[in-house]
Amino acid sequence: MESKMKNLNLFRVLVVSAALVIGVTACHHKPSSITPIPGSEGPIGPVPTSTGPGASGTVPGETAVSPVTETTTGIPENGNGKYDSVINGPHNEDREIFKNDTVYFDFDSATIKASEESKLQDVATHFKSSTGDALQVEGNCDERGTEKYNLSLGDRRALAIREYLVNLRVDAQRIKTVTYGASKPVDSGHNEAAWSKNRRGDLVLLTPKK
Amino acid sequence: MKLNLNLMLAALLFGALSLQAQDRVIEIRKSTTRLIPVSITGLTGEAADVLKFDLSVLGIEVADSPEYIINGSDNGRVEGSLTPAGASHPLWLRAYAGGSVRAQAHAFADDIAKELRQTTPIFRTKVAFRLSRVGATEVCVSDYDGYGMIVLTHDATLVSSPSWIPGGHSLLYTSWMNNKTEIYEHNLATGARRVFAGYPGASFSAEVAPDGRRVAMILSKSGSPNLYVCNLDGSGLKELTFTRDDDSSPCWAPDSREICFVCRSGRAMLQKISADGGAAVTVHAGGAYGNLTSPDWSPDGSQIAFTSGSRPFHIWVMPASGGEAKMVADGEDPCWAPNSRTLIFTQQGNDKQVLSLLDVPTKHVKTVRQISGSCSEPSWAR
Repeated sequence: MESKMKNLNLFRVLVVSAALVIGVTACHHKPSSITPIPGSEGPIGPVPTSTGPGASGTVPGETAVSPVTETTTGIPENGNGKYDSVINGPHNEDREIFKNDTVYFDFDSATIKASEESKLQDVATHFKSSTGDALQVEGNCDERGTEKYNLSLGDRRALAIREYLVNLRVDAQRIKTVTYGASKPVDSGHNEAAWSKNRRGDLVLLTPKK
Repeated sequence: MKLNLNLMLAALLFGALSLQAQDRVIEIRKSTTRLIPVSITGLTGEAADVLKFDLSVLGIEVADSPEYIINGSDNGRVEGSLTPAGASHPLWLRAYAGGSVRAQAHAFADDIAKELRQTTPIFRTKVAFRLSRVGATEVCVSDYDGYGMIVLTHDATLVSSPSWIPGGHSLLYTSWMNNKTEIYEHNLATGARRVFAGYPGASFSAEVAPDGRRVAMILSKSGSPNLYVCNLDGSGLKELTFTRDDDSSPCWAPDSREICFVCRSGRAMLQKISADGGAAVTVHAGGAYGNLTSPDWSPDGSQIAFTSGSRPFHIWVMPASGGEAKMVADGEDPCWAPNSRTLIFTQQGNDKQVLSLLDVPTKHVKTVRQISGSCSEPSWAR
């Protein structure tokens, strides 16, 4: 027991020192393998919209003000080129077609595991033979991170899947990424069996609504 | 009117006489880290409940051998006095007009807390948080103790990371209402809202600087979740970090010049960076282990609170310059009150999350008013 404790402490010291070294060296330069999101060079800045039907206004502790106008301008398109219309316009979501290709991750990791690579190869094959459709990649986490941390981790997972598919020659413009953090678990249990199912990237086929 | 005049005269008189009691008061104040026993008499019902809860939040408890005698009444309005035990005259006698009985009792409690803890008043401040019910999450605003809750959004979608714009009239939050991860600005007075940041990829976790001029947030438009700042009108966007790893949870130093955030590089660690750009520096949190996330910088600049671990989570406090960290509670996502003494944080209750208040020096924890649904991601208006 005691030696176990010692080992644990030693492990902690090693992990902390390693992390410090990595922190100093790894957090400062821009790696070349990042794939920019299409449209990111386009016009930037806040996009005005009117009050949506879901907004309510009140000064805390004072009389409520009822919601104002209905939405007149939607969220503008984000320059996904020829896939704009399917990604940002009306589309159908097929959540079944890639169900067996859900990508699972290790705890606190956004690395695509070897066991998951064939799934993404299948998905890439689909897009080689199809036209006009697009892919929504949804990054999800287990409940073992704080909420804002999980948003970033889920985003990083979705982007890792996107990057992998782009390397398999899927057009980057065709892929939309979303992060849900730990807000959409498939298993609400509080154990590793549940957590391992929740650390995932869901792949959703988007097809134009006719 | 006559009563008011009498009261004023009485207050003046007591004020003069109470000088005698000052030496004793200073003696009693020596330590801020211990509970202060008091007695409360005269107040009834809601006024008494509010006063007891408020004082308890700062480690001032009704107990035997009281060091202070709090006496009051609530016939139409709250009046009360504070007297050091053994003194023949109160330090002061005050009456509160306007607002509800709750508001008056909070004001009385603020005056007592100012006297006994020398802290900025917090009992009439607001918090924003995320409420999760079956199928949806919404942004809510309430008094700091959970009363007077207003559900601000009704989008039946996901929301995250509500954060006050200084002044307390608007919030920023992340919403998925358009099937994208975007940051919204919501004016509490008019209900008007707009997309504050809806860049390609995801835009989330916005925090406004204390001076109200700049906003820190996480954008993934470069292909990786990185830290950015822009002006409050959305102009002047600047990328601050360029790593492949995911950055998260920015918070501001009180001088609005530095940002503390989480960089996951092997494991999650806290880093600081100038809001104008430059090299990020790791903040050493001695004694804390595992992933270190959700930092919040105290308004007086002296401390940073953060979360460690991966369920169960623990809350720690350390000097803002780094150094030895102290574990202060079980829970996650701490946010400082304007007094730099109290933290509101998320605690795991039975099958749901609740918001609790922690008096950091005494480690005294009080849970806010319970509502149906799970509450998390508290942001204190300051």
